[in-house]
Amino acid sequence: MTLRWWRLAARNLRRHLRRTLLTGSIVVVGFVAVTMTAGFVVQTFEGLKKATVEGLGGHVRILDARAEGKTDEEAQGYLLEDWQGLAALLAKDPRVLQVMPKLSFFGLVVKGDRSIGALGTGTDPALEARASYVKKIVVSGTYFSSPDGDEVILGSGLARAVGAKAGDLVTVMTTTPEGALNALDATVSAIVSYPIKEVDDRLLYMPFRSASRLLASVGKAHTLVVLLADERQSDAAARAFAEAARAAGWNVAARTWLETAAFYKQVRLLYIGIFVFMGLVLGIVVILAVANTMTMSVFERTREIGALLAIGMERSQVRRLFLYEGLLLAIIGTLVGAVLSFVLRGVLNRSGIELPPPPGGTHGNLLFIRFFPLAYVFAFAMMTFTLLVASWWPARRAARLNPIEALAHV
Amino acid sequence: MPFTAGRVARGRGPGVPYTRPVAIVEARGLTRIYRLGQERIAGIREATLAIERGELAVLAGPSGSGKTTLLNLLGLLDTPDEGVLVFEGRDVSRVSDRERSRIRRERIGFVFQTHQLVPVLSAEENVALALWIRDLPEADCRRRARAALAAVGLEGLEARRPDHLSGGQRQRVAVARALVGEPAVILADEPTASLDSETAERLLDLFDALNRERGVAFVYSSHDPRIVDRTPRRLRLRDGRIARDERNGEAA
Repeated sequence: MTLRWWRLAARNLRRHLRRTLLTGSIVVVGFVAVTMTAGFVVQTFEGLKKATVEGLGGHVRILDARAEGKTDEEAQGYLLEDWQGLAALLAKDPRVLQVMPKLSFFGLVVKGDRSIGALGTGTDPALEARASYVKKIVVSGTYFSSPDGDEVILGSGLARAVGAKAGDLVTVMTTTPEGALNALDATVSAIVSYPIKEVDDRLLYMPFRSASRLLASVGKAHTLVVLLADERQSDAAARAFAEAARAAGWNVAARTWLETAAFYKQVRLLYIGIFVFMGLVLGIVVILAVANTMTMSVFERTREIGALLAIGMERSQVRRLFLYEGLLLAIIGTLVGAVLSFVLRGVLNRSGIELPPPPGGTHGNLLFIRFFPLAYVFAFAMMTFTLLVASWWPARRAARLNPIEALAHV
Repeated sequence: MPFTAGRVARGRGPGVPYTRPVAIVEARGLTRIYRLGQERIAGIREATLAIERGELAVLAGPSGSGKTTLLNLLGLLDTPDEGVLVFEGRDVSRVSDRERSRIRRERIGFVFQTHQLVPVLSAEENVALALWIRDLPEADCRRRARAALAAVGLEGLEARRPDHLSGGQRQRVAVARALVGEPAVILADEPTASLDSETAERLLDLFDALNRERGVAFVYSSHDPRIVDRTPRRLRLRDGRIARDERNGEAA
């Protein structure tokens, strides 16, 4: 039965085809804007998430419970004892791909008469290469040649500041957890270009065993970084690791990548804020455009509505007729918008447009808009709701007309 | 809600049995006052009349005499400020807007001064519209719409939209729309006002034929002598009052 009203709504929309097309195009543009922006934002989130996990080298970070809430400098003093035993325990979990030990230190890189402060990380070269992007961002030289060589990888900013290049010999100095000064001569095996400039200016990697000797902390690690097969299991795995470790006598805390990713969270909040604001602006534009069209339509059809009411059409039927017109516009607009969004996404993803680096970053990325089905569902729901809201007032106005006055309308 | 069968109370409560032949619509002391700022203008004053089944009546009078106001009240498009309106034996003076819509939909047909057809619908769909609003099955609506169009002599023009019909044909579609719901009465407000003499004459012939053959009552409002002179019952209005009620030229 309702099919006849949909048909009538479709024909009413065709009365002023140009006006309907203009209003429909606003719906289409709104839909495309929402889906494209969402695709871009989601892609950015995914890229940032991947970069965060790869920067950390895994999904869950295990550290001495006493280091929790301490500054990085204070945390230097808390080391995990028998990290191999703990790593073996964690590796039994089927969700785990690998467990990587890390040592962190503040030190100096010295070359000739230049010495520059560095944030040092001792890591397992093979595990690091698998879990993080350090190997992928080498710009000169080669990644670590062995697990225990006296080699370092420097960030390009640090290398420039200290005047070192791949193959040069530098001295790395730091204090051990006990407070003794120690130094190690190492060859610069590679220079990397880290995407965040502040980090790139201080970055130093060395094999875990060399770092152990430098810090006089053999058999100990500041953290264990666990790489999982599935990122979505991070929370559950972190809880399980902490419980298993405590049960086995290690006093540890387990933190997921997200808990330690302040930058990721800030960017996410910023983008969501922008997205919501844009959605609101779009919503208002669509509401105004559609409400204007519908109001004009009601005005032009006043006598006709009066006649319909006079012959006994229910007011609710009149209201429904206008709401159907709004809904139909939403459905057609979003369908056209979906097709246009697909086409435009394909064109833009193939265009090779390079975006500027993100805040604090050193590299831009190629523009890529991800297909995010939820955005299409959301945009459809948003447009439908918006058009219903926009049609509601004119529809209500039409339904409340006095048939006598409406029939006399000029 | 069922209508009260057969009898209507005069001066009693609504729906109470009475012994007079039933009128389709009966007005008793109907008054309608319009407010224009502080001023109160009477559109119609103390109108009393009854329209019987199968009757052909015209509300005649000059502009501003209250013809359209009275027709609107009889057609349940407006509510009286005073007086009682009984429709098929039931007091409908104060029924809800929804109930008035239902009665109009099921028991009253309307023909307006200009046809007031929906331009995006074909002739058949315009007629079927009067049944669509009653939520009747589509096939039934279409069949009855075609029959109504045939009854007004528009067979073969079902698929045409109003802008592809002449003025007279459009008005016939409007008559078919009024007729299709099998109403007890058809109210026509200045139905020939927008038609030339020949077309108007043919339309009036059609009204006569439908009245004769189907027994449907017609009430026109008009100051057109072509209508007034040929209508058996003439209610002459002046200054918002029924000045004279004539049947076949004699005062009733």
